[in-house]
Amino acid sequence: MLQLNGVSKDFGGLRALSDVTLNVREGQIKGLIGPNGAGKTTLFNLITGVFPPSGGSITFLGEETTHQNPEKISRLGISRTFQQPHLFKSLTVWENVMMGRHYRTRAEFFACGLRLPKATREEKDIRKQSLEYLNLFGLTDKKDRVASKLPLGEQRYLEVARALATEPKLLLLDEPTSGLNDHETEQFRDLLLKIKGVGVTLLVIEHHMRFIMGLCEEIAVLNFGAKIAEGSPQEIQVSPEVITAYLGTEESID
Amino acid sequence: MESLLKDKNKLAWLLITPGVLLLPFVFGKGFYLNTMNFISLHAMVAVGLCLLVGYGGQLSISHSAFFAIGAYASAIFCLRYHLPPLISILLSQGLSALLAWGIGWVVLRLKGHYLAIATLSFTIIVEVLVKEMAWLTGGLQGLSSIPSISIGGFMIDSDYRFYFVVWPLTMLLLLFSLNLVDSRMGRIFRAIKENEDIARQFGADVKVYKIKLFIVSSVYASIAGSLYAHFVTFISPVTGSIMFAIDIIMVLAFGGFTLLWGAMIGVASLTFLNEYLTIFADFKRAIYGLALVIIILLFPNGLLLGLRDFGNRIFLFIAEGRKKHASA
Repeated sequence: MLQLNGVSKDFGGLRALSDVTLNVREGQIKGLIGPNGAGKTTLFNLITGVFPPSGGSITFLGEETTHQNPEKISRLGISRTFQQPHLFKSLTVWENVMMGRHYRTRAEFFACGLRLPKATREEKDIRKQSLEYLNLFGLTDKKDRVASKLPLGEQRYLEVARALATEPKLLLLDEPTSGLNDHETEQFRDLLLKIKGVGVTLLVIEHHMRFIMGLCEEIAVLNFGAKIAEGSPQEIQVSPEVITAYLGTEESID
Repeated sequence: MESLLKDKNKLAWLLITPGVLLLPFVFGKGFYLNTMNFISLHAMVAVGLCLLVGYGGQLSISHSAFFAIGAYASAIFCLRYHLPPLISILLSQGLSALLAWGIGWVVLRLKGHYLAIATLSFTIIVEVLVKEMAWLTGGLQGLSSIPSISIGGFMIDSDYRFYFVVWPLTMLLLLFSLNLVDSRMGRIFRAIKENEDIARQFGADVKVYKIKLFIVSSVYASIAGSLYAHFVTFISPVTGSIMFAIDIIMVLAFGGFTLLWGAMIGVASLTFLNEYLTIFADFKRAIYGLALVIIILLFPNGLLLGLRDFGNRIFLFIAEGRKKHASA
Protein backbone atom coordinates (compact mmCIF):
# COMPACT_ATOMS: atom_id res chain seq x y z
CA MET A 1 0.00 0.00 0.00
CA LEU A 2 2.70 2.47 1.05
CA GLN A 3 6.23 1.97 -0.22
CA LEU A 4 9.31 3.94 0.68
CA ASN A 5 12.30 3.11 -1.50
CA GLY A 6 15.71 4.23 -0.28
CA VAL A 7 14.35 7.45 1.17
CA SER A 8 16.86 9.97 2.56
CA LYS A 9 16.50 13.40 4.07
CA ASP A 10 19.20 15.97 4.77
CA PHE A 11 18.68 19.08 6.83
CA GLY A 12 21.59 21.26 5.83
CA GLY A 13 24.59 19.08 6.60
CA LEU A 14 22.65 16.80 8.92
CA ARG A 15 21.47 13.49 7.56
CA ALA A 16 18.15 12.81 9.30
CA LEU A 17 17.26 9.74 7.29
CA SER A 18 19.44 7.60 5.08
CA ASP A 19 18.26 5.02 2.60
CA VAL A 20 15.14 3.92 4.44
CA THR A 21 13.07 1.27 2.69
CA LEU A 22 9.74 0.51 4.26
CA ASN A 23 6.62 -1.26 3.14
CA VAL A 24 3.21 -0.94 4.77
CA ARG A 25 0.73 -3.60 3.67
CA GLU A 26 -2.97 -2.95 3.43
CA GLY A 27 -4.92 -3.81 6.57
CA GLN A 28 -1.98 -4.14 8.95
CA ILE A 29 -0.96 -2.20 12.04
CA LYS A 30 2.69 -1.42 11.61
CA GLY A 31 4.87 -0.05 14.38
CA LEU A 32 7.76 2.34 13.99
CA ILE A 33 10.11 2.57 16.96
CA GLY A 34 13.53 3.95 17.70
CA PRO A 35 15.36 6.14 20.19
CA ASN A 36 14.73 9.89 20.27
CA GLY A 37 16.06 11.65 17.20
CA ALA A 38 16.06 8.48 15.10
CA GLY A 39 14.04 10.22 12.37
CA LYS A 40 10.59 8.75 12.96
CA THR A 41 8.66 12.01 12.81
CA THR A 42 10.76 13.15 9.85
CA LEU A 43 9.61 10.01 8.06
CA PHE A 44 5.97 10.96 8.74
CA ASN A 45 6.62 14.44 7.42
CA LEU A 46 8.05 12.96 4.22
CA ILE A 47 5.10 10.62 3.76
CA THR A 48 2.59 13.43 4.21
CA GLY A 49 4.48 15.82 1.96
CA VAL A 50 5.40 18.44 4.56
CA PHE A 51 8.81 18.49 2.86
CA PRO A 52 10.20 16.40 -0.01
CA PRO A 53 12.88 13.74 0.52
CA SER A 54 16.46 14.45 -0.55
CA GLY A 55 16.59 11.08 -2.25
CA GLY A 56 14.53 7.97 -2.89
CA SER A 57 10.88 7.65 -3.75
CA ILE A 58 7.53 7.17 -2.02
CA THR A 59 4.50 5.54 -3.60
CA PHE A 60 1.03 5.20 -2.14
CA LEU A 61 -1.51 2.85 -3.74
CA GLY A 62 0.62 2.66 -6.85
CA GLU A 63 0.81 6.45 -7.21
CA GLU A 64 4.11 8.25 -6.81
CA THR A 65 3.78 10.85 -4.04
CA THR A 66 7.45 11.72 -3.56
CA HIS A 67 7.11 15.39 -4.55
CA GLN A 68 3.39 15.86 -4.08
CA ASN A 69 2.14 18.62 -1.80
CA PRO A 70 0.36 17.85 1.50
CA GLU A 71 -3.14 18.70 0.23
CA LYS A 72 -2.85 16.23 -2.66
CA ILE A 73 -1.47 13.48 -0.46
CA SER A 74 -4.20 13.90 2.13
CA ARG A 75 -6.75 13.63 -0.66
CA LEU A 76 -5.26 10.30 -1.70
CA GLY A 77 -6.24 8.98 1.72
CA ILE A 78 -3.39 9.53 4.17
CA SER A 79 -4.20 11.27 7.43
CA ARG A 80 -2.13 11.77 10.54
CA THR A 81 -1.89 12.92 14.12
CA PHE A 82 0.99 14.79 15.69
CA GLN A 83 3.38 14.22 18.56
CA GLN A 84 2.17 17.41 20.20
CA PRO A 85 -1.50 17.69 19.27
CA HIS A 86 -1.86 20.25 16.48
CA LEU A 87 -5.54 20.99 16.72
CA PHE A 88 -7.15 24.11 15.35
CA LYS A 89 -7.04 25.65 18.79
CA SER A 90 -9.50 28.48 18.28
CA LEU A 91 -12.10 26.23 16.67
CA THR A 92 -14.50 24.21 18.79
CA VAL A 93 -14.10 20.48 19.30
CA TRP A 94 -16.93 19.84 16.86
CA GLU A 95 -15.54 22.24 14.25
CA ASN A 96 -12.20 20.47 14.41
CA VAL A 97 -13.82 17.22 13.37
CA MET A 98 -15.87 19.07 10.75
CA MET A 99 -12.54 20.22 9.29
CA GLY A 100 -11.78 16.56 8.78
CA ARG A 101 -14.79 16.37 6.46
CA HIS A 102 -13.52 19.33 4.45
CA TYR A 103 -12.15 17.70 1.36
CA ARG A 104 -14.91 15.11 1.31
CA THR A 105 -17.34 17.92 0.59
CA ARG A 106 -17.71 20.28 -2.34
CA ALA A 107 -19.77 23.43 -1.69
CA GLU A 108 -17.80 26.51 -2.78
CA PHE A 109 -18.04 30.23 -2.02
CA PHE A 110 -21.30 31.09 -3.69
CA ALA A 111 -23.08 27.90 -2.70
CA CYS A 112 -22.11 28.56 0.95
CA GLY A 113 -22.75 32.31 0.94
CA LEU A 114 -26.10 32.00 -0.80
CA ARG A 115 -27.08 28.92 1.24
CA LEU A 116 -27.97 26.97 -1.88
CA PRO A 117 -29.85 23.74 -1.09
CA LYS A 118 -26.79 21.72 -2.08
CA ALA A 119 -24.62 23.51 0.49
CA THR A 120 -27.25 23.29 3.23
CA ARG A 121 -27.68 19.56 2.67
CA GLU A 122 -23.94 19.05 2.70
CA GLU A 123 -23.51 21.09 5.89
CA LYS A 124 -26.17 18.98 7.57
CA ASP A 125 -24.28 15.83 6.57
CA ILE A 126 -20.98 17.28 7.79
CA ARG A 127 -22.49 18.01 11.18
CA LYS A 128 -24.14 14.63 11.48
CA GLN A 129 -21.11 12.62 10.42
CA SER A 130 -18.67 14.56 12.58
CA LEU A 131 -20.97 14.03 15.57
CA GLU A 132 -20.66 10.30 14.98
CA TYR A 133 -16.89 10.54 15.21
CA LEU A 134 -17.16 12.60 18.39
CA ASN A 135 -19.47 9.92 19.80
CA LEU A 136 -16.94 7.22 19.04
CA PHE A 137 -14.40 9.06 21.20
CA GLY A 138 -16.82 10.07 23.92
CA LEU A 139 -16.39 13.77 23.20
CA THR A 140 -19.99 14.57 22.34
CA ASP A 141 -20.80 16.52 25.49
CA LYS A 142 -17.68 18.67 25.01
CA LYS A 143 -18.37 19.44 21.37
CA ASP A 144 -18.85 23.18 21.84
CA ARG A 145 -15.71 23.75 23.86
CA VAL A 146 -12.76 25.47 22.30
CA ALA A 147 -10.31 22.72 21.37
CA SER A 148 -7.39 24.23 23.31
CA LYS A 149 -9.39 23.93 26.54
CA LEU A 150 -9.44 20.12 26.43
CA PRO A 151 -7.06 18.10 28.62
CA LEU A 152 -4.18 16.48 26.75
CA GLY A 153 -5.70 13.00 26.62
CA GLU A 154 -8.87 14.27 25.01
CA GLN A 155 -6.87 16.43 22.61
CA ARG A 156 -5.26 13.22 21.40
CA TYR A 157 -8.65 11.58 20.98
CA LEU A 158 -9.87 14.62 19.12
CA GLU A 159 -6.88 14.50 16.77
CA VAL A 160 -7.62 10.89 15.92
CA ALA A 161 -11.32 11.73 15.47
CA ARG A 162 -10.41 14.58 13.12
CA ALA A 163 -8.03 12.36 11.16
CA LEU A 164 -10.61 9.58 10.91
CA ALA A 165 -13.26 12.01 9.72
CA THR A 166 -11.30 12.33 6.47
CA GLU A 167 -12.02 8.62 5.90
CA PRO A 168 -8.35 7.81 5.41
CA LYS A 169 -7.06 4.56 3.95
CA LEU A 170 -3.83 4.96 5.90
CA LEU A 171 -3.64 6.60 9.31
CA LEU A 172 -0.30 7.75 10.73
CA LEU A 173 -0.19 8.13 14.51
CA ASP A 174 2.76 9.91 16.10
CA GLU A 175 3.17 8.73 19.71
CA PRO A 176 -0.53 8.48 20.42
CA THR A 177 -0.13 7.31 24.01
CA SER A 178 2.42 9.79 25.30
CA GLY A 179 0.90 11.63 28.22
CA LEU A 180 -1.86 9.07 28.67
CA ASN A 181 -2.18 6.95 31.84
CA ASP A 182 -2.33 3.15 31.80
CA HIS A 183 -6.09 3.00 31.73
CA GLU A 184 -6.32 5.49 28.87
CA THR A 185 -3.61 3.63 26.98
CA GLU A 186 -5.62 0.44 27.34
CA GLN A 187 -8.69 2.19 25.96
CA PHE A 188 -6.65 3.58 23.13
CA ARG A 189 -5.52 0.11 22.10
CA ASP A 190 -9.14 -1.07 21.83
CA LEU A 191 -9.92 2.01 19.79
CA LEU A 192 -7.08 1.40 17.35
CA LEU A 193 -8.16 -2.21 16.91
CA LYS A 194 -11.66 -0.94 16.18
CA ILE A 195 -10.24 1.47 13.60
CA LYS A 196 -8.31 -1.37 12.02
CA GLY A 197 -11.53 -3.37 12.03
CA VAL A 198 -13.21 -0.90 9.67
CA GLY A 199 -10.41 -1.36 7.16
CA VAL A 200 -8.00 1.45 7.98
CA THR A 201 -4.29 0.64 7.77
CA LEU A 202 -2.22 2.06 10.62
CA LEU A 203 1.38 3.14 10.96
CA VAL A 204 2.18 3.98 14.58
CA ILE A 205 5.21 5.68 16.13
CA GLU A 206 5.51 4.75 19.79
CA HIS A 207 7.86 4.80 22.72
CA HIS A 208 5.56 2.75 24.90
CA MET A 209 7.05 -0.69 24.22
CA ARG A 210 4.47 -2.91 25.84
CA PHE A 211 1.74 -1.04 23.99
CA ILE A 212 3.36 -1.35 20.58
CA MET A 213 4.49 -4.96 21.01
CA GLY A 214 0.93 -5.98 21.89
CA LEU A 215 -0.64 -3.98 19.08
CA CYS A 216 1.43 -4.43 15.95
CA GLU A 217 1.91 -7.38 13.65
CA GLU A 218 5.09 -5.91 12.30
CA ILE A 219 7.59 -3.40 13.62
CA ALA A 220 10.37 -1.42 11.98
CA VAL A 221 13.20 0.05 14.06
CA LEU A 222 15.01 3.25 13.17
CA ASN A 223 18.28 4.40 14.71
CA PHE A 224 20.28 7.45 13.62
CA GLY A 225 18.15 7.75 10.51
CA ALA A 226 18.64 4.19 9.27
CA LYS A 227 16.39 1.18 9.51
CA ILE A 228 18.21 -1.35 11.66
CA ALA A 229 15.56 -4.05 11.97
CA GLU A 230 12.13 -5.07 10.81
CA GLY A 231 9.95 -8.02 11.75
CA SER A 232 7.40 -9.39 14.17
CA PRO A 233 7.47 -8.11 17.77
CA GLN A 234 9.12 -11.38 18.85
CA GLU A 235 11.90 -11.02 16.29
CA ILE A 236 12.46 -7.39 17.23
CA GLN A 237 12.79 -8.15 20.92
CA VAL A 238 15.66 -10.57 20.36
CA SER A 239 17.39 -8.64 17.59
CA PRO A 240 20.93 -7.80 18.75
CA GLU A 241 20.97 -4.48 16.82
CA VAL A 242 17.83 -3.32 18.53
CA ILE A 243 19.11 -4.30 21.96
CA THR A 244 22.32 -2.39 21.26
CA ALA A 245 20.41 0.68 20.09
CA TYR A 246 18.38 0.67 23.24
CA LEU A 247 21.29 -0.25 25.50
CA GLY A 248 20.98 1.35 28.87
CA THR A 249 17.21 1.49 28.62
CA GLU A 250 16.77 -2.25 28.75
CA GLU A 251 13.81 -2.11 31.11
CA SER A 252 11.73 -0.33 28.52
CA ILE A 253 12.09 -3.24 26.12
CA ASP A 254 10.09 -5.77 28.10
CA MET B 1 -24.11 26.57 20.72
CA GLU B 2 -22.99 26.34 17.12
CA SER B 3 -26.55 26.23 15.79
CA LEU B 4 -27.71 28.75 18.37
CA LEU B 5 -25.02 31.17 17.28
CA LYS B 6 -26.12 30.76 13.71
CA ASP B 7 -29.69 31.46 14.68
CA LYS B 8 -28.66 34.45 16.78
CA ASN B 9 -26.88 35.99 13.82
CA LYS B 10 -29.77 35.35 11.49
CA LEU B 11 -32.26 36.59 14.05
CA ALA B 12 -30.28 39.79 14.50
CA TRP B 13 -30.15 40.22 10.75
CA LEU B 14 -33.87 39.62 10.39
CA LEU B 15 -34.62 42.21 13.08
CA ILE B 16 -32.13 44.86 12.06
CA THR B 17 -32.71 44.83 8.30
CA PRO B 18 -36.37 45.97 8.41
CA GLY B 19 -35.41 48.39 11.19
CA VAL B 20 -32.81 50.05 9.01
CA LEU B 21 -35.11 50.12 5.99
CA LEU B 22 -37.94 51.71 8.00
CA LEU B 23 -35.72 54.45 9.42
CA PRO B 24 -36.54 57.08 6.76
CA PHE B 25 -40.25 56.54 7.37
CA VAL B 26 -39.85 57.17 11.08
CA PHE B 27 -37.47 60.13 10.97
CA GLY B 28 -38.45 61.53 7.59
CA LYS B 29 -36.03 62.98 5.09
CA GLY B 30 -33.06 64.86 6.36
CA PHE B 31 -29.34 65.27 6.29
CA TYR B 32 -28.87 62.20 8.47
CA LEU B 33 -29.83 60.10 5.40
CA ASN B 34 -26.67 61.30 3.70
CA THR B 35 -24.63 60.15 6.71
CA MET B 36 -26.47 56.84 6.72
CA ASN B 37 -25.67 56.31 3.04
CA PHE B 38 -21.98 56.78 3.68
CA ILE B 39 -22.19 54.42 6.63
CA SER B 40 -23.68 51.86 4.30
CA LEU B 41 -20.97 52.29 1.65
CA HIS B 42 -18.20 52.10 4.21
CA ALA B 43 -19.83 49.13 5.90
CA MET B 44 -19.58 47.18 2.63
CA VAL B 45 -15.85 47.78 2.54
CA ALA B 46 -15.46 47.00 6.25
CA VAL B 47 -17.43 43.75 6.04
CA GLY B 48 -15.33 42.67 3.06
CA LEU B 49 -12.10 43.49 4.88
CA CYS B 50 -13.37 41.75 8.01
CA LEU B 51 -13.82 38.54 6.01
CA LEU B 52 -10.26 38.75 4.74
CA VAL B 53 -8.49 39.90 7.90
CA GLY B 54 -10.66 38.59 10.71
CA TYR B 55 -11.50 35.22 9.24
CA GLY B 56 -8.78 34.60 6.67
CA GLY B 57 -5.98 36.21 8.66
CA GLN B 58 -4.61 38.08 5.62
CA LEU B 59 -3.97 41.72 6.52
CA SER B 60 -4.47 43.76 3.38
CA ILE B 61 -4.24 47.53 2.96
CA SER B 62 -5.54 47.49 -0.59
CA HIS B 63 -9.23 48.00 -0.02
CA SER B 64 -9.12 51.71 -0.71
CA ALA B 65 -7.47 50.89 -4.03
CA PHE B 66 -10.28 48.53 -4.97
CA PHE B 67 -12.78 51.17 -3.86
CA ALA B 68 -11.04 53.59 -6.23
CA ILE B 69 -10.89 51.03 -9.03
CA GLY B 70 -14.61 50.34 -8.64
CA ALA B 71 -15.37 54.06 -8.66
CA TYR B 72 -13.10 55.02 -11.57
CA ALA B 73 -13.86 51.99 -13.72
CA SER B 74 -17.59 52.52 -13.46
CA ALA B 75 -17.29 56.28 -14.07
CA ILE B 76 -15.03 55.72 -17.08
CA PHE B 77 -17.28 53.06 -18.61
CA CYS B 78 -20.13 55.51 -18.18
CA LEU B 79 -18.51 58.75 -19.32
CA ARG B 80 -16.13 57.54 -22.02
CA TYR B 81 -18.00 54.56 -23.40
CA HIS B 82 -21.52 55.82 -22.67
CA LEU B 83 -22.66 52.61 -21.08
CA PRO B 84 -25.67 52.75 -18.74
CA PRO B 85 -24.62 53.02 -15.04
CA LEU B 86 -25.93 49.59 -14.06
CA ILE B 87 -23.94 47.88 -16.82
CA SER B 88 -20.88 49.96 -15.92
CA ILE B 89 -21.16 48.91 -12.29
CA LEU B 90 -21.38 45.24 -13.22
CA LEU B 91 -18.46 45.47 -15.66
CA SER B 92 -16.35 47.23 -13.02
CA GLN B 93 -16.88 44.35 -10.61
CA GLY B 94 -15.63 41.95 -13.27
CA LEU B 95 -12.58 44.13 -13.79
CA SER B 96 -11.92 44.38 -10.04
CA ALA B 97 -12.28 40.63 -9.62
CA LEU B 98 -9.80 40.07 -12.43
CA LEU B 99 -7.33 42.53 -10.92
CA ALA B 100 -7.78 41.06 -7.44
CA TRP B 101 -7.05 37.63 -8.90
CA GLY B 102 -3.83 38.88 -10.49
CA ILE B 103 -2.69 40.83 -7.44
CA GLY B 104 -3.72 38.08 -5.04
CA TRP B 105 -1.86 35.49 -7.07
CA VAL B 106 1.33 37.48 -6.59
CA VAL B 107 1.07 38.96 -3.10
CA LEU B 108 -0.71 36.21 -1.17
CA ARG B 109 2.48 34.16 -1.13
CA LEU B 110 3.57 36.68 1.48
CA LYS B 111 2.44 36.63 5.07
CA GLY B 112 1.87 39.07 7.89
CA HIS B 113 3.75 42.35 7.62
CA TYR B 114 5.14 41.51 4.20
CA LEU B 115 1.65 41.03 2.84
CA ALA B 116 0.54 44.30 4.41
CA ILE B 117 3.46 46.14 2.80
CA ALA B 118 2.89 44.53 -0.61
CA THR B 119 -0.81 45.44 -0.60
CA LEU B 120 0.05 48.93 0.61
CA SER B 121 2.40 49.32 -2.37
CA PHE B 122 -0.44 48.32 -4.67
CA THR B 123 -2.60 51.01 -3.10
CA ILE B 124 0.12 53.60 -3.67
CA ILE B 125 0.55 52.50 -7.29
CA VAL B 126 -3.17 52.81 -7.94
CA GLU B 127 -3.21 56.27 -6.36
CA VAL B 128 -0.30 57.42 -8.51
CA LEU B 129 -1.83 55.98 -11.67
CA VAL B 130 -5.12 57.70 -10.95
CA LYS B 131 -3.29 61.01 -10.61
CA GLU B 132 -1.00 60.59 -13.60
CA MET B 133 -3.25 59.01 -16.22
CA ALA B 134 -5.15 62.26 -16.62
CA TRP B 135 -6.34 61.40 -20.15
CA LEU B 136 -8.40 58.60 -18.63
CA THR B 137 -9.03 59.58 -15.02
CA GLY B 138 -9.06 63.35 -15.20
CA GLY B 139 -5.96 63.48 -13.02
CA LEU B 140 -6.16 65.75 -9.99
CA GLN B 141 -9.38 67.31 -11.28
CA GLY B 142 -11.08 63.96 -11.11
CA LEU B 143 -14.20 63.03 -13.01
CA SER B 144 -17.46 64.90 -12.62
CA SER B 145 -21.02 64.69 -13.93
CA ILE B 146 -21.09 60.95 -13.51
CA PRO B 147 -24.66 59.91 -14.28
CA SER B 148 -26.80 58.62 -11.43
CA ILE B 149 -28.03 55.06 -11.46
CA SER B 150 -31.38 54.70 -13.12
CA ILE B 151 -33.54 51.65 -12.64
CA GLY B 152 -36.15 51.40 -15.38
CA GLY B 153 -36.09 55.15 -15.95
CA PHE B 154 -36.30 55.87 -12.22
CA MET B 155 -33.31 58.03 -11.26
CA ILE B 156 -31.52 57.28 -8.03
CA ASP B 157 -30.44 60.86 -7.55
CA SER B 158 -31.33 61.80 -3.97
CA ASP B 159 -30.19 60.69 -0.53
CA TYR B 160 -33.63 59.30 0.07
CA ARG B 161 -33.71 57.17 -3.07
CA PHE B 162 -30.09 56.04 -2.79
CA TYR B 163 -30.81 54.90 0.73
CA PHE B 164 -33.12 52.17 -0.59
CA VAL B 165 -30.52 50.97 -3.06
CA VAL B 166 -27.45 50.94 -0.89
CA TRP B 167 -28.83 49.62 2.40
CA PRO B 168 -30.57 46.52 1.03
CA LEU B 169 -27.37 45.71 -0.85
CA THR B 170 -25.19 46.17 2.23
CA MET B 171 -27.49 44.00 4.29
CA LEU B 172 -27.48 41.31 1.60
CA LEU B 173 -23.70 41.37 1.41
CA LEU B 174 -23.61 41.10 5.20
CA LEU B 175 -25.97 38.13 5.06
CA PHE B 176 -23.77 36.51 2.41
CA SER B 177 -20.77 36.98 4.71
CA LEU B 178 -22.61 35.66 7.76
CA ASN B 179 -23.58 32.57 5.78
CA LEU B 180 -20.10 32.18 4.44
CA VAL B 181 -18.30 32.24 7.79
CA ASP B 182 -20.75 29.72 9.19
CA SER B 183 -20.03 27.08 6.56
CA ARG B 184 -17.26 24.77 5.45
CA MET B 185 -15.65 27.80 3.79
CA GLY B 186 -15.69 29.82 7.01
CA ARG B 187 -14.12 26.97 8.93
CA ILE B 188 -11.37 26.54 6.38
CA PHE B 189 -10.53 30.26 6.54
CA ARG B 190 -10.29 30.19 10.31
CA ALA B 191 -8.16 27.06 10.04
CA ILE B 192 -5.89 28.77 7.50
CA LYS B 193 -5.63 31.81 9.74
CA GLU B 194 -4.56 29.62 12.61
CA ASN B 195 -2.18 27.24 10.87
CA GLU B 196 -1.78 26.97 7.11
CA ASP B 197 0.38 23.86 7.26
CA ILE B 198 -2.13 21.84 9.22
CA ALA B 199 -4.97 23.10 7.03
CA ARG B 200 -3.08 21.80 4.00
CA GLN B 201 -2.76 18.41 5.62
CA PHE B 202 -6.54 18.32 5.73
CA GLY B 203 -6.79 18.67 2.01
CA ALA B 204 -7.25 22.44 1.84
CA ASP B 205 -5.76 24.05 -1.24
CA VAL B 206 -4.66 27.04 0.84
CA LYS B 207 -3.25 29.12 -2.01
CA VAL B 208 -6.43 28.91 -4.06
CA TYR B 209 -8.69 29.60 -1.07
CA LYS B 210 -6.72 32.69 -0.10
CA ILE B 211 -6.95 34.09 -3.62
CA LYS B 212 -10.68 33.43 -3.81
CA LEU B 213 -11.24 35.12 -0.47
CA PHE B 214 -9.13 38.06 -1.59
CA ILE B 215 -11.24 38.41 -4.75
CA VAL B 216 -14.56 38.30 -2.87
CA SER B 217 -13.29 40.73 -0.25
CA SER B 218 -11.90 43.16 -2.84
CA VAL B 219 -15.11 43.09 -4.86
CA TYR B 220 -17.03 44.18 -1.74
CA ALA B 221 -14.86 47.31 -1.71
CA SER B 222 -15.20 47.74 -5.44
CA ILE B 223 -19.02 47.56 -5.35
CA ALA B 224 -19.02 50.29 -2.71
CA GLY B 225 -16.67 52.36 -4.89
CA SER B 226 -18.89 52.06 -7.96
CA LEU B 227 -22.01 53.00 -6.03
CA TYR B 228 -20.16 55.94 -4.50
CA ALA B 229 -19.21 57.26 -7.94
CA HIS B 230 -22.79 57.23 -9.20
CA PHE B 231 -24.17 58.59 -5.94
CA VAL B 232 -21.79 61.50 -5.39
CA THR B 233 -21.38 61.94 -9.18
CA PHE B 234 -17.88 63.28 -8.65
CA ILE B 235 -14.67 61.40 -7.91
CA SER B 236 -11.08 62.50 -7.45
CA PRO B 237 -7.83 60.88 -6.31
CA VAL B 238 -8.94 61.56 -2.71
CA THR B 239 -11.76 59.03 -3.23
CA GLY B 240 -9.57 55.99 -2.74
CA SER B 241 -6.59 57.38 -0.94
CA ILE B 242 -4.49 55.44 1.55
CA MET B 243 -6.15 57.37 4.37
CA PHE B 244 -9.38 55.63 3.48
CA ALA B 245 -7.69 52.23 3.76
CA ILE B 246 -6.45 53.17 7.21
CA ASP B 247 -9.88 54.48 8.22
CA ILE B 248 -11.38 51.10 7.39
CA ILE B 249 -8.74 49.27 9.41
CA MET B 250 -9.53 51.70 12.23
CA VAL B 251 -13.17 50.66 11.92
CA LEU B 252 -12.22 47.02 12.44
CA ALA B 253 -9.90 47.89 15.29
CA PHE B 254 -12.86 49.59 16.89
CA GLY B 255 -15.58 47.05 16.14
CA GLY B 256 -13.55 43.86 16.31
CA PHE B 257 -11.53 42.14 13.66
CA THR B 258 -13.27 38.81 13.97
CA LEU B 259 -16.84 40.00 14.13
CA LEU B 260 -18.87 40.91 11.05
CA TRP B 261 -21.41 42.79 13.17
CA GLY B 262 -18.48 44.57 14.78
CA ALA B 263 -17.56 45.95 11.36
CA MET B 264 -21.07 47.40 11.04
CA ILE B 265 -21.03 48.87 14.54
CA GLY B 266 -17.51 50.19 14.03
CA VAL B 267 -18.47 52.03 10.84
CA ALA B 268 -21.59 53.51 12.40
CA SER B 269 -19.85 54.71 15.56
CA LEU B 270 -16.85 56.19 13.80
CA THR B 271 -18.92 57.93 11.16
CA PHE B 272 -21.10 59.59 13.77
CA LEU B 273 -18.03 60.54 15.78
CA ASN B 274 -16.62 62.12 12.62
CA GLU B 275 -19.79 64.07 12.00
CA TYR B 276 -20.14 65.45 15.49
CA LEU B 277 -16.52 65.93 16.49
CA THR B 278 -15.80 68.41 13.72
CA ILE B 279 -14.15 70.69 16.26
CA PHE B 280 -11.26 68.27 16.21
CA ALA B 281 -11.14 68.09 12.42
CA ASP B 282 -7.56 69.28 12.24
CA PHE B 283 -6.36 66.81 14.81
CA LYS B 284 -8.57 63.95 13.66
CA ARG B 285 -5.77 61.96 12.03
CA ALA B 286 -3.53 62.38 15.03
CA ILE B 287 -6.26 61.33 17.44
CA TYR B 288 -7.16 58.34 15.26
CA GLY B 289 -3.55 57.29 14.99
CA LEU B 290 -3.03 57.45 18.72
CA ALA B 291 -6.30 55.65 19.40
CA LEU B 292 -5.39 52.92 16.91
CA VAL B 293 -2.06 52.28 18.63
CA ILE B 294 -3.66 52.17 22.07
CA ILE B 295 -6.48 49.88 20.96
CA ILE B 296 -4.15 47.43 19.22
CA LEU B 297 -1.90 47.33 22.27
CA LEU B 298 -4.68 46.83 24.80
CA PHE B 299 -7.27 44.94 22.76
CA PRO B 300 -5.66 43.16 19.81
CA ASN B 301 -9.05 41.70 18.83
CA GLY B 302 -10.67 45.11 18.62
CA LEU B 303 -12.10 47.56 21.12
CA LEU B 304 -15.66 46.23 21.38
CA LEU B 305 -14.63 42.57 21.60
CA GLY B 306 -11.92 43.51 24.06
CA LEU B 307 -14.32 45.46 26.25
CA ARG B 308 -16.79 42.58 26.15
CA ASP B 309 -14.13 40.10 27.29
CA PHE B 310 -12.94 42.56 29.91
CA GLY B 311 -16.51 42.95 31.17
CA ASN B 312 -16.94 39.19 31.30
CA ARG B 313 -13.78 38.83 33.33
CA ILE B 314 -14.86 41.47 35.84
CA PHE B 315 -18.26 39.82 36.10
CA LEU B 316 -16.62 36.44 36.76
CA PHE B 317 -14.27 38.03 39.28
CA ILE B 318 -17.16 39.53 41.20
CA ALA B 319 -19.18 36.32 41.00
CA GLU B 320 -16.22 34.34 42.33
CA GLY B 321 -15.77 36.82 45.14
CA ARG B 322 -19.42 36.53 46.13
CA LYS B 323 -19.20 32.75 46.14
CA LYS B 324 -16.13 32.83 48.35
CA HIS B 325 -17.79 35.34 50.62
CA ALA B 326 -20.92 33.20 50.86
CA SER B 327 -18.98 30.02 51.64
CA ALA B 328 -16.92 31.84 54.27
